[in-house]
Amino acid sequence: MLDLYLFQILNGLGLGMIYFLIAVGLTIIFGLLNFVNFAHGAFYLLGSYLCYTVVALTGNFWLALLIAPIVVGLLAWVIEKTLIQRVYHLPHTFHILITLGMALIIQELTIMTWGPVGKSVATPELLQGVVIMGDFAYPKYRLFLILFSALIGFGLWLLLERTRFGALVRAGSEDTETVSLLGTDIYRLFSLTFALGVALAAIAGVLATPLRGANPFIGVEVLGLAFVVVVIGGMGSFSGALIASLLVGLVQSLMTTLWPQGASLMIYGAMATVILIRPYGLFGRA
Amino acid sequence: MQRRTFLKASIAASSLLAVPSMIRQAQAAEPLSIYGVKSVSGTFASYGQYANMGSKLAVEDYGEVLGRPLTYTTIDTEGNAGKAVRKVQEATQQKGALFFNGCTLSSSALAVGKEVAKAGGVFMTPAGADELTGKNCNSSTFRWSVPTYGAIRETVLPLIKMKPEAKRWYTITPQYVFGEALLDNAKAVFDEMGVEHVGNSYHSLQEQEFSGYLTNAMAARPDVLLLLNFGGQSSNVLRQAVNFGLKRKMTILLAWSAGLDQFKELGPELIEDVYLGAQYWHQIDTPMNNAFVKRVREVYEMNPNYPMAADYIGTKVLLDGIKRAGSTEGAEVSRALEGYTYEGPTGSETVRTSDHQVIKDYYLLRGKAASEMNDPDDLAEVVSSGRTFPAEDAVGCNMA
Repeated sequence: MLDLYLFQILNGLGLGMIYFLIAVGLTIIFGLLNFVNFAHGAFYLLGSYLCYTVVALTGNFWLALLIAPIVVGLLAWVIEKTLIQRVYHLPHTFHILITLGMALIIQELTIMTWGPVGKSVATPELLQGVVIMGDFAYPKYRLFLILFSALIGFGLWLLLERTRFGALVRAGSEDTETVSLLGTDIYRLFSLTFALGVALAAIAGVLATPLRGANPFIGVEVLGLAFVVVVIGGMGSFSGALIASLLVGLVQSLMTTLWPQGASLMIYGAMATVILIRPYGLFGRA
Repeated sequence: MQRRTFLKASIAASSLLAVPSMIRQAQAAEPLSIYGVKSVSGTFASYGQYANMGSKLAVEDYGEVLGRPLTYTTIDTEGNAGKAVRKVQEATQQKGALFFNGCTLSSSALAVGKEVAKAGGVFMTPAGADELTGKNCNSSTFRWSVPTYGAIRETVLPLIKMKPEAKRWYTITPQYVFGEALLDNAKAVFDEMGVEHVGNSYHSLQEQEFSGYLTNAMAARPDVLLLLNFGGQSSNVLRQAVNFGLKRKMTILLAWSAGLDQFKELGPELIEDVYLGAQYWHQIDTPMNNAFVKRVREVYEMNPNYPMAADYIGTKVLLDGIKRAGSTEGAEVSRALEGYTYEGPTGSETVRTSDHQVIKDYYLLRGKAASEMNDPDDLAEVVSSGRTFPAEDAVGCNMA
């Protein structure tokens, strides 16, 4: 029985890293641009379907992992330039309204393009199979996801905390006017940040497709999950997103053994508990 | 009476006498509408769109009934029981609609069935809930699909017989009425056959991440993993089970698959050697199915899938009922359908009088490897088939 719990903890950590990848783009966009992106799940959806298309055409998953985030990131950059930039100054309710509309448009376009029936993508050949751990087996692909997500997380931290780009964006999010007066085209940096956050959603979409397939309604589920992580971690907090993702993954995985029917519910239970104790999330600021 | 007055009265009287036949003539030419209650948009659109194509084709093939041309109207439920009921109410009250076919979701079918019964119409559905022909049955509702009892007995029993060495079974079940019904029936078969039920994991209807449940299953070391969920959830649990290497360690049976579309979505890599329960399979070799497959290929350039077949035959049987009754009165059509035997996709099918359940085959399929496939839709082979239904006095249906 102890083995089972230990394995559920490992599984929970793996799950948490996948959730981190799903949520980190959302938290970056909110934290740095103070913009609520309800279309985050829809961009994940696009990443997932582009992965399907690239794999169907070329049979190469790694190419999909390269192409999908670039295409979705470019799309996001265009949307930010033409639409989002005009509404940064408006209250959050306007952000929600606009991005929710975008999400619906993307979802319907997905159905028109790829049809209403879901699609599957096989696990890349290199990562097929499992690693045997006693009575249990853990998929190589999930181990790869843990490592890849950790690398992405580390790379993002370096970018935002240790580069001039990161410093300028962080400064711009605190005081847009001052940074602009110092000669930096802050709105160009905002465009890049928005595209980066969205490209991360697309990466998550690509990587999750072999596990969950692509279907036109997956964006809504993903958005809900991403918001739970961001709320628990504290809106806009990078390290908060990481800790919250691991917490959610562990809670979900352990609850599937302790109280299986309530495993999904307990994710929201964890969120409610954190909000009661720390209303702004684990690492949030008032 | 003056001659002029007599003539006027005669003309007036003959005109009045002619009115009923004129009305009858007008009525004879008046189109008869068949209503398809389908989720053509929303979460279940992938099912509803094919179901709609099936009903439309059945109406088109029938052409007319009782000398009246047929029209087909789609009612989009958007996968929402509340909207389904409201739209059906509007159709019955404002348009005098009486004949309905469809409803994927059991919740919608149960509610729509009650509404159609209130309006005195007839409703044919492929929905899964046992209650439709059980405790919530009514004189207007008919069901084509095999309920949970038969689905379990026609999949679990043959597999136990095929694999007598597989004595330990683990189940993964969605916690709602449909899942519970499948689980209860499976447990009854396990007891009957001396099979050990080594564990069950319930999950919620929103769940899409099954790694934790699969870990529980691995810990129980079963010989067979029986999946009792449906649709997207069953696809995801199957994907993740294969990812965890469970296909190599145990036999996997998905008792209630969605058929061709789901198999195409998953692909041969995932469903190879997985056992799959199905209401319909396009390769069934019966005269009606062979003709139906040919017709669908002509019209839609594809092989029919389960929703298309279920709603095609449901609509056709409804029209047969009108023809047999020689009337468009709902009660008469219902009576005409009771005990009706016809050639359906699964062979000779009969509408059971006591609960309005269609008696038809359920199939156990085995997923083929890519190398075994003769065409892109040749994804599975029929391993066994049969018809098992609960006894008439055991379903709890009281039409009175």
